[in-house]
Amino acid sequence: MTGRWRALLRLLAVQGTWNYERMLGVGMGYAAEPLLEDLKTVDPVRHGEAVVRSAEFFNCNPNLAGLALGATARAEYEDVPGPQIARLRTALCSPLGALGDDLFWAGLVPALVGLTIAAVVLGAGWRAIVWFLVLYNLIRLATGVWALRTGLAAGMRVGAAIGASWVPRAVARIGPVAGACVGFAVPLAAGWYLRGFGWGGAGGALAIAATGAAMSRWFGPSLTSVRFALLAMGLLIFFRGMGL
Amino acid sequence: MTALGALTIGLLVLWGTVVALDLVSVPQAMLSRPLVAGTVAGWIVGDVEAGLRVGVVLELFALDVLPIGAVRYPDYGPATVVGVALSAGAPWELGLGLSVGAGLILASLGGWTLMVVRRWNARAIQRRAAALAAGESGAIRRLQYAGLARDGARGAVLTALGLLAAWALARWLTLDRGTAVGLTLVAVGTGLAAAANGAVRSAGRGARLKWLVAGALAGTLLAVLR
Repeated sequence: MTGRWRALLRLLAVQGTWNYERMLGVGMGYAAEPLLEDLKTVDPVRHGEAVVRSAEFFNCNPNLAGLALGATARAEYEDVPGPQIARLRTALCSPLGALGDDLFWAGLVPALVGLTIAAVVLGAGWRAIVWFLVLYNLIRLATGVWALRTGLAAGMRVGAAIGASWVPRAVARIGPVAGACVGFAVPLAAGWYLRGFGWGGAGGALAIAATGAAMSRWFGPSLTSVRFALLAMGLLIFFRGMGL
Repeated sequence: MTALGALTIGLLVLWGTVVALDLVSVPQAMLSRPLVAGTVAGWIVGDVEAGLRVGVVLELFALDVLPIGAVRYPDYGPATVVGVALSAGAPWELGLGLSVGAGLILASLGGWTLMVVRRWNARAIQRRAAALAAGESGAIRRLQYAGLARDGARGAVLTALGLLAAWALARWLTLDRGTAVGLTLVAVGTGLAAAANGAVRSAGRGARLKWLVAGALAGTLLAVLR
């Protein structure tokens, strides 16, 4: 099977046609095209069916999409019945979504962002941003390469391969790290901004922070952080306009 | 807001387009994080300090977002670019609040435009349903490139309109010093609330919560000692 590197590059745009009907489906079909090219010469009918299947509904975390892509591509070459491949795709959506979201969006990203904010505040400046980009992209690209390789190697047994891999263990470990890093960064950021405003200004900002945190938890999704911020700014401008 | 030349405006719109694409479509390299978008925008306008200051506050808001599945979330990339352009050249204590406020409005608008693009993508797929059912690889490719182009156009228009609004704000809105400082304090306070909310919600009640508290204690100690 050729076209692995092209498929890997195309996976970077797997969400390029994100929509509410097929979600990542078309992006997966786009990434699958180089992998399925050899099938065209071997079995053109099967190739046509494989292309149709590759662009059907699919959703998961984009960084782990290579697992599903590789597994289904191999299954197509192994002549696994189409309905079985469709069932594999459906079955992979939830675990790859949950694992990937926990690993990246709720784990690695907040951990690195927390460390970067702390580094900026402690004087690293723009260099901290460069390190953040380099570190994150090294990890996610390495994960992407591993995911596609593992999917291609495992085929229909990809579920077992995921279970035995480093991913579930990493998910369990990254959560506490992310919590510590964000927890470390927030008070440092507060100090960075509020130091020059004296006790009155700093106390006022911290009171707003406490009120915002309490109100957002009390009202839930109806009062998001952004809405609370805009409401508070609007009220400030209104009262200042009234001369208060 | 400092006066921006045509080249600077062009670079800002280009950077806004790149970060808008990065959020969902390609390459998701975290260029769209406010920290990154803000620092580069600050470099473009010649005020990296403004980029970092605006970027960190909007990053605190972004920490409250978990971009999973079909959830609707603000697009902080172009918003940060515009916020930095608005803040550049002014002392951050005076410019930060208004910039963050404008950035939050634009981020919300950006979140709405993402939904519009997703609906347009779905319509384009419906129009090519027959070609997809026939297994035409060319149809998949065309859909993909059109989807990327739609998202890129969204980012460019959002950034350009944001810069226009920022220019109008800077020209016609005059804030007294007290109001400007007050807005900055509100921006920082609400940003801290957003980050705290996001952190507590993600932490749940397990080991992560304990580590969050430990990190917060260490951060507070260091902030006090500095």
